[in-house]
Amino acid sequence: MPALLSPLGPAPSRWKRLRSELFGSRVDGLISIALGAALVAIAFGLLKWTLFQAQWAVIQANSTLFAVGRYPIEQQWRLWLLTALLAAATGLSWGLLRALPRDQPSGQRWPFNDRLAAGVLVALALAVPLWLQLSLAIQLRWWGITALVLVLRWALARWGSDVPRRIQRLVPLLWPGLYLVGMVLISGGLGLIQVAPAQWGGLLLTLVASSFAILLCFPLGLVLALGRRSELPLLRWGSVVYIEFIRGAPLITLLFLGQNILGFLLPGGLAPDRVWRAAWVLTFFAAAYVAEALRSGLAAVPRGQLEAAQSLGMTMPQSLVQVVLPQALRVALPAVVGQFITLLQDTTLLSLIGLLDLLGTARAVMANPAFLGKSAEVYLVLAVLFWGCCAALGLGSRALETRLNPSEQARYQR
Amino acid sequence: MASRNPAVMDPILEARGVQKWYPNGYHALRGVDLTVHRGEVVVIMGPSGSGKSTFIRTFNALEDFQQGSITIDGLSINEDTRNIEAIRREVGMVFQQFNLFPHLSVLDNLTLAPVLVRKRAKAQVEREALELLERVGIGEQAHKFPGQLSGGQQQRVAIARSLCMEPRLMLFDEPTSALDPEMVQEVLEVMQELAADGMTMVVVTHEVRFARNVASRVVLMAEGEVVEIAPPEQFFTAPSHPRTQQFLQQIG
Ligand SMILES: Nc1ncnc2c1ncn2[C@@H]1O[C@H](COP(=O)(O)OP(=O)(O)OP(=O)(O)O)[C@@H](O)[C@H]1O
Ligand SMILES: [Mg+2]
Repeated sequence: MPALLSPLGPAPSRWKRLRSELFGSRVDGLISIALGAALVAIAFGLLKWTLFQAQWAVIQANSTLFAVGRYPIEQQWRLWLLTALLAAATGLSWGLLRALPRDQPSGQRWPFNDRLAAGVLVALALAVPLWLQLSLAIQLRWWGITALVLVLRWALARWGSDVPRRIQRLVPLLWPGLYLVGMVLISGGLGLIQVAPAQWGGLLLTLVASSFAILLCFPLGLVLALGRRSELPLLRWGSVVYIEFIRGAPLITLLFLGQNILGFLLPGGLAPDRVWRAAWVLTFFAAAYVAEALRSGLAAVPRGQLEAAQSLGMTMPQSLVQVVLPQALRVALPAVVGQFITLLQDTTLLSLIGLLDLLGTARAVMANPAFLGKSAEVYLVLAVLFWGCCAALGLGSRALETRLNPSEQARYQR
Repeated sequence: MASRNPAVMDPILEARGVQKWYPNGYHALRGVDLTVHRGEVVVIMGPSGSGKSTFIRTFNALEDFQQGSITIDGLSINEDTRNIEAIRREVGMVFQQFNLFPHLSVLDNLTLAPVLVRKRAKAQVEREALELLERVGIGEQAHKFPGQLSGGQQQRVAIARSLCMEPRLMLFDEPTSALDPEMVQEVLEVMQELAADGMTMVVVTHEVRFARNVASRVVLMAEGEVVEIAPPEQFFTAPSHPRTQQFLQQIG
């Protein structure tokens, strides 16, 4: 599709622009060279350390611990199954996205980005298990899972457009469904043996706690944001007090408070386990910030929009859902996703209340005399893991932003 | 076109002694009466701040009022939300700022309410919406977004959007005031055709020519009161009230 690439501008002119930006004047040139040299030196040093000096045994020996904590070995097949299901859903969605026509400007980078993503996935799948020195059986599992993603992506890209629209529309519903299935697989029930949250750890715990909080803090924040703008004084003041109280308190105090208070507040059997208490506190905490982000979005929608909707006979809920919120969300989305990213990073505080999330696991591992002095390796891996999760959130948000953009929407509707 | 005298005097809107105070205490409507009959075009004129917008917005309950009564097609406006929604279904409104939904295509702007509120089949509504867009002269723009249209086109879409709900009464609050001069005419023409088709309309506007040619009656509001109601010939040539004479002089 060479015709599609031309509007991006041929490569030479981009080089020229880069050159004029970096070496516009003599001072510019000197600064560019100095900064460039510093960057190369840093990158080189980091690479040298990673490849030759760092001792990755601490990660290799504890990879399972970092991934799932003390999840019982005989039940770990459930997590493998969940991973495979997630891979299948990813492959399906990805392939279907490829099958959709892309003729708008933002679609032009798609074929390149798409291949890049596939390439990165393959490289990671090949390199990481080898680097972690996983046993052959487990390596094979990871390769199988990667193959599942790629095969489904390929198949759906090939035949996806032949799938009737009615069924195509069901694919996004896979994800919430899968989330519920995942919760059952992880925690047990419905005939599966219970695995107490206390046994979850590492990346598993971090992802469960943060995804739970991210999913729930959004509707809660929305209610608070609408409440804060409501004409009912009780609702308005309730929302204001809640938001200001939460925003005025450090998360760590709330986490400690939650460990104690939720136990008193709720009757015996209902009081959630320590992990869930923390997850709820995270949810309530993030909701206040999400509410403020959404409030700024709501404020950006002109009053006339609600009036127009109501003058057409739409009820208040209809007007909000169909007219006001889509516009408010588009404005608030970057701030809300920023909040999600903060939330993900805030899960590290769980380690301070004695839970074995990624950071908690890391601290436990580093406390082991066998791995003394290996904290740089551990922290680097943690940073990369968190960076990966946050980057995924950021990419998702950018895709959604494009989708909510009216002029981009035409292609989804046609 | 001469001013029309509706054959049957069948009131669709009756406002009696309407008084409104804004929350800050400002007395915006000081006992206003108005009756609009089916098929009539009533034009409301008056100086800025005289309460024209406030008054017309009470007709579909976008503004509340504290005293008096307003009855629309037999339904009287009260606190009951269901009642208000029922009235809004039958009363269309066109705003100065168009207020199209920017996140929806032109066609979806038209079909949203009929599908959602009247629970009608989408395919059928779409067919009618396309006809309406054709009628206001923008059939080819159905799949564009409001932001891609000129002001005049947007206002015509807004009119079509209201019409798509098949209202019995249409309210216009200064529909051409936000438009560049060269686009005013295309909107007025659409409104004139609508009037010729027998739509009952209440129009707040400063367009004297429109009032002269299309109105059945012209109303002058000043300081929150209705000062004069008269057929256009009389209103513009022999107004009875000194306040009207003063207003006509001011607008030249
Ligand atoms: N929300 C409000 N709170 C307090 N006073 C208001 C409010 N809205 C309008 N007013 C006042 O009520 C009076 C009538 O306003 P309104 O908008 O109805 O006038 P108008 O006749 O439509 O004027 P214009 O020709 O400028 O549109 C004005 O003096 C205005 O300042
Ligand atoms: Mg006004």
